Amino acid sequence: MLYQSQRVAYAYFLAVLLLFGLQVAFGVLSLAKYLGPDPLLNVMNFATSKAIHTNLLLVWVLTGFMGATYYMVPEESQTELYSVRLAYVQLVLWLAIGVAAVVGYLFGITAGRKLLEMPQALKYGVVVVMLMFLFNVLMTIRQAGRWTTTQGVLIGGLASAALLFVAGMIPFDNYTLDRFYRWWVVHLWVEGVWELILGAILAFLLIRLSGADREVMEKWLYVIVGLTFLSGILGTGHHYYWIGVPRYWLWVGGIFSALEPLAFLAMAAYAYNMMRRSGLAHPNTLALHWTIGSAVFSMLGAGLLGLAHTWPQVNQWTHGTHVTTMHGHMAFFGAYAMINLAIITYALPAFAGIPDDARDVRLGLWAFWLMVGGMFGMTMALAAAGITQTYLERIMGFGYLETQQKIQVHYLMWLGTSIVFAAGVIAFIWDFVSLGVPRGLLEKSRLSVGAGMGSTTP
Amino acid sequence: MTKAVTRRFFFIGTAIFTLAFIVLTIHTHTTIASRTHADRLTDEVRRGGHVWAKYNCENCHTLLGEGAYYAPDLTKVVQQRGAAYLAQFLANPAQFYSETRDGRLMPTLGLSTQEIANVIAFLDWMGHIDTNGWPPRPILVSGVAVRAMPGVAGVASAADPPSRGKAVFNGSGACASCHSVAPGVVLVGPSLAGVAKTAVTRLQDPHYQGTARTAAEYLEESILQPNVFIVPDGLYASPQRVSFMPDTLGKTLAPEEVKDLVAYLMTLQ
Repeated sequence: MLYQSQRVAYAYFLAVLLLFGLQVAFGVLSLAKYLGPDPLLNVMNFATSKAIHTNLLLVWVLTGFMGATYYMVPEESQTELYSVRLAYVQLVLWLAIGVAAVVGYLFGITAGRKLLEMPQALKYGVVVVMLMFLFNVLMTIRQAGRWTTTQGVLIGGLASAALLFVAGMIPFDNYTLDRFYRWWVVHLWVEGVWELILGAILAFLLIRLSGADREVMEKWLYVIVGLTFLSGILGTGHHYYWIGVPRYWLWVGGIFSALEPLAFLAMAAYAYNMMRRSGLAHPNTLALHWTIGSAVFSMLGAGLLGLAHTWPQVNQWTHGTHVTTMHGHMAFFGAYAMINLAIITYALPAFAGIPDDARDVRLGLWAFWLMVGGMFGMTMALAAAGITQTYLERIMGFGYLETQQKIQVHYLMWLGTSIVFAAGVIAFIWDFVSLGVPRGLLEKSRLSVGAGMGSTTP
Repeated sequence: MTKAVTRRFFFIGTAIFTLAFIVLTIHTHTTIASRTHADRLTDEVRRGGHVWAKYNCENCHTLLGEGAYYAPDLTKVVQQRGAAYLAQFLANPAQFYSETRDGRLMPTLGLSTQEIANVIAFLDWMGHIDTNGWPPRPILVSGVAVRAMPGVAGVASAADPPSRGKAVFNGSGACASCHSVAPGVVLVGPSLAGVAKTAVTRLQDPHYQGTARTAAEYLEESILQPNVFIVPDGLYASPQRVSFMPDTLGKTLAPEEVKDLVAYLMTLQ
């Protein structure tokens, strides 16, 4: 940590972990309902608990992105934040919106669109918060007059995410159009502009963890985000196959979404090469684990498992089965949960004011392996459930209910592995909290690495 | 390759693909009205869409395969189950399913009669959207319709009417979504095992007021006009004496398909 105002990120990260813990609790609760009779049926049904599970995910991942940005931008622009107070006000407002949404769901107040369930009034609140955030960040960069490619990609991703969110606020009576534009938010976020945020945080971490040359790193960052948009924009078509739009989307979506793994493959190769060149010498072992882990897991979960069911010829059978759940869990965890945990573990010793190599990493490593192992197990259980469901229900013609009874054993495996995962989350939170509240400031050991500043233009 | 080159790759590539996406989006808009039968998107359908959202339906169910996977896909549910049955079901799902037997139950949402009518109208409209052929085979809520083996499923092009009728039963007629042909296996509708014999006894029922004189005529009448005779056991009709059997098969099936179907049912002695 080089600048006093980077400390703002600590509050964001604390909120991240609180919401992450809650998200996983609602996830385990929701999946337990698959095992049948649900004692909470008329208190909190599956639709409610599952909407809370996914909404908390979106809220905490975005909180993490904002925290990461407040941590990265001062270092990249070599200045203090424009307004620390605004950053805190923004966090409070943001969390208030998130809490209001979740409490609303418990009382049945919902817009009823998957992942965009927030009532319209709260969506306006989100726009206000995003504008406050972008204003603060852009003013910081402006006052420093220093603009790096890494932060350019980061801000580009965040600003586009805010812009695309508006597409999800337009009401449509025609369900086909409603779906069409819902994907402008959901797909173009997670398979588009969020990958810019992911790539930028990855570049920021790799430059510091490996000591690699910034010019080279940023050159390849453009290749990665270029591949993302080359495939991901028209790749939106893979959500359009069956929603009532022309048949050409089968071709467009099939071909371009099949290219989407390239960006993730490039990110994994990027991380692997940097680490191979510099060795794994950086003393922040945990940040190294999460950074490389994110690159590898997002390649597997988002890249390969996405590819597995993206062709129309496959997707017509698997669409709407647990094959999607399998891909969704590993992809989101690999790409967007792990990168957040990477920047948090990277920043944490600096917040606590202790050198990287003086930190006890045993609990942190337990957290890493429990989460990675648990998520891998969940993915396998869901793969078995999804493939069996596809064959029995879609191909053989068994009813939905009969099929669900045949795959109960996979739900048991899902539950078991999710508990392993939850144990990892608890370990991570415990490790974070036990380091105490921030007290450190300038940590000289970071200066030599962090100062590898190169280009000033995007 | 320098950073300037990769930067150009990013900006030019992004511009080209964004432009292509916008062009396709504009073209797609011009096709929506006919592909979704927008002329049938009435106020009732619109209100039904709001009911669908208000009760958070898609966080359990899927529609067009999108939503959550805790409950069955409903894209074609009105065509499969019929409006009369769905109205009864939505008023109190526990009448038809048991949480202990099925492992899952839809909560009683307290929908008003108006909301129920609206959401059924919405789902009916949904079922007619041109989805590029999805789902390739009907997705059933419950029951079994083994279509993978022609010997079991019947052959649409066969020379004998019963075999063609069997294909209608398992395919275009979607009869198998609600009826089994195994004795004692009751889905939404009664088992049709021995239905040819049952038809004879129905004709002798003193309450029967229809025009059929033979078992085959009775079966045809039941398919095309299910409300002509409601069996007085009260199991498969609403309290208002409306059969759960959809009365739309006369529109969705060709007359020859109905004849073949009757020929097949007549083999179920």
